[in-house]
Amino acid sequence: MIDALQSLSALSTARGLGVSALDTTTSSDAASAAGGAGAATGTSFADTLGNMASGMVGDLRNAEKVSFQGLQGQASTRQVVDAVMTAQQSLQTALAIRDKIVSAYLDISRMTI
Amino acid sequence: MSDPLQAAMKVAASGLDAQSTRLRIVSENMANAQSTGATPGSDPYRRKVVDFSSVLDRQTGATEVSVERIATDPSDFTTVYDPSNPAADAKGMVKMPNVNMITEMADMREANRSYEANLQTIKQARDLVSMTIDLLRS
Repeated sequence: MIDALQSLSALSTARGLGVSALDTTTSSDAASAAGGAGAATGTSFADTLGNMASGMVGDLRNAEKVSFQGLQGQASTRQVVDAVMTAQQSLQTALAIRDKIVSAYLDISRMTI
Repeated sequence: MSDPLQAAMKVAASGLDAQSTRLRIVSENMANAQSTGATPGSDPYRRKVVDFSSVLDRQTGATEVSVERIATDPSDFTTVYDPSNPAADAKGMVKMPNVNMITEMADMREANRSYEANLQTIKQARDLVSMTIDLLRS
């Protein structure tokens, strides 16, 4: 989780964010978004967001699976709590980053030309 | 590079597993404190003890705890005079398990405390992660 934040902050300081890339990630699914400006070197901002989103969905799926296993008596209480806590944390991270992106988008749209 | 906070939570989780196994063994000992043998002169239930060992988790590089094996206590059985018991020998003496309730109580308390300590570690690491994510808000 902290790794994701670090890679994200490294990306944002390394290069300026293209408005087009930001636009595609917020409007579409983020995983299928084509890397916008500056995608030539390494992973793009959109790729990073896409990886984070798919990781979060995976964590949520896993939490649900382990919860059902716990109900059936196949997983211990500790495992269920662990999986649910992991999912909760990754959802929190994703929400915080989404809020940041939306506020940045609103800032740009309010900019006086 | 793996996240040290995530690694701390994983290590604490291994501690939770180990201590719950220990609690299981204590409860087995307590439940079988009066389990005698079935035939005359046969051995009764023998007390079990857990052996912990440290193992290196290659993914995170942290040292976790695991239950190495569940051994038996080799100490002597106590004998009581009870001729009516099916396990009594020719003199009417019955071998009782080498379980001491006071020892088991102390062991249970210690397992309980260790479990709580590991839970606190998880709680602290979780709070730190949440506080770090909260930096993005505001």
